[in-house]
Amino acid sequence: MLSLRVPAPTSFDFRRFNAGGLDRRWRLSRDCLFSLSPDFAGRGIGFGVRSAKSEMAPFTAAEEETLPEGLQPELMPKHVAVIMDGNGRWAKNRGLQPWDGHRAGVEALREIVELCGKWGIQVLTVFAFSTDNWIRPKIEIDFLLSLFERTLKSEFDTLAKNNVRISVIGDSSKLPESLIEVINEVEEVTKNNTRLQLIVAVGYSGKYDVVQACRGIAKRVKDGEIEVGEIDERLIEQELETNCTEFPYPDLLIRTSGELRVSNFLLWQLAYTELFFAQELWPDFGRSGFIEALMSFQQRQRRFGGRKS
Amino acid sequence: MDLKQSMLLLSSWIAQIGDVGLDLLWRFVHIVVSLWYIFSGIFEAIESYAISLGLIKKYSSINFEKLRCLAVVVDIEEARDVVNVIDLLQWLTTIGVNQVGLFDTQGLLKKCKDLILETVPGSMLLEETGEKDLLPDRKRIALEFISSSDNKEAVVKAANILLQRYLKSSHPEKEKGDDFFTEPHLNEALRVVGENVQPPDLLLVYGPIRSHLGFPAWRLRYTEIVHMGSLKYMRYGSLLKAIHKFTGVHQNYGT
Repeated sequence: MLSLRVPAPTSFDFRRFNAGGLDRRWRLSRDCLFSLSPDFAGRGIGFGVRSAKSEMAPFTAAEEETLPEGLQPELMPKHVAVIMDGNGRWAKNRGLQPWDGHRAGVEALREIVELCGKWGIQVLTVFAFSTDNWIRPKIEIDFLLSLFERTLKSEFDTLAKNNVRISVIGDSSKLPESLIEVINEVEEVTKNNTRLQLIVAVGYSGKYDVVQACRGIAKRVKDGEIEVGEIDERLIEQELETNCTEFPYPDLLIRTSGELRVSNFLLWQLAYTELFFAQELWPDFGRSGFIEALMSFQQRQRRFGGRKS
Repeated sequence: MDLKQSMLLLSSWIAQIGDVGLDLLWRFVHIVVSLWYIFSGIFEAIESYAISLGLIKKYSSINFEKLRCLAVVVDIEEARDVVNVIDLLQWLTTIGVNQVGLFDTQGLLKKCKDLILETVPGSMLLEETGEKDLLPDRKRIALEFISSSDNKEAVVKAANILLQRYLKSSHPEKEKGDDFFTEPHLNEALRVVGENVQPPDLLLVYGPIRSHLGFPAWRLRYTEIVHMGSLKYMRYGSLLKAIHKFTGVHQNYGT
């Protein structure tokens, strides 16, 4: 049975056991076990142990150069999207409260943001809170939103120093005023940063995005801003919330916790996105999982719906 | 040779022996991992054949309550070999799947619609089926043929219907659009332009690319997506296993 995750195919395909594929997996394993980078050593050996860092380590020019062996810089995806699933289950498995899982999830996100910045990925979009999550218990929602606010405030300086631009997409009408203020400030101050764009989807869904795009176009037509007889694909794409980035279409989508769905995330934008479903719960998804996802992406044949030449 | 030189030589030998030892250990681990992958692949193949022969009881009956609508995405190159698609549909009919949406980006399967309907026993177009046609004991399969034109183009057409309604409203200057542009409105407009908005419960992707290749995005909200590999190497056992696994999935729907 094949889920959208290497390395288990449904068919017994001898082509998988080619030297190149094994060699890359070999190098991946070696990288995971024997990595000597200071941040890896500080985080433990990947058995769900993660040190609670107070802030992100700065990216350095030297670290940007050193991709793990097996990853090719010219094949790195420009835009990676992540569905950060599994915080609640991670906490439940350890007999902890859901908010402990969300805190651990923030640590995992920090690590991935660092890696994206170091490895030349230009856009990272993370699905933090869906419109469908509003039905969760109020106490959990309040905690999540306050955690997001606190994290933005605490990481703001480091992200700004690391030339990271932050954008937040989603329906903000239900967000607390204090959070909206922090979001506006962070977006404004980081808007000219160019190294990495971190897009956080809060109160977002793919269907909401399409509907608000259509609504936005209609309003512009009504207000006389644009004169169009008809809506077309180009107009919708300009109005989608992902218009905040130069690369609105993810090259790679990663979803953790073993679920095989996109759960209403970036529906319009995912047509030709490579899908990677990881078994780990989000707090356990770190450098090795990310490397595996990137290696899988680089190995896959990518065609955008056309014919082979 | 004095003591210092001897110590340096000894430490050099120890380092070299250590390096060789670590290298051998690493190669041994590499061999073990490689063998594990080989044996797991062999096991999967054997399991698949065992499932096909009905030797594994748990796959002999499947609860289809959760699988009302199955979608199959076929890579454009693989869609050219319609025989494989027909075989797949015959297997799905045997398994008991009632409704299948067939998608390829360029609509090749749409063009072969008549051939497929003539060749697959019990098959009929989804839009021509009634409730009685899809009862479990009827061994019928309702087919829907989908292509990229049913994705963004369809949403654009639906959006234009809503735009016209909005502009023709009695007081457009007062309307914010919230009463005209909502998810239910877009659903309804998609139906008006002839699109099926029913979300598939399970989407099987056949081809080298692990992507849904532009399947109508509006329908994919909570669809399980499984990559099945190449259509050329498809196996009945793997198909049955994928469907069986899906019936055991629990969805939270955001809670």
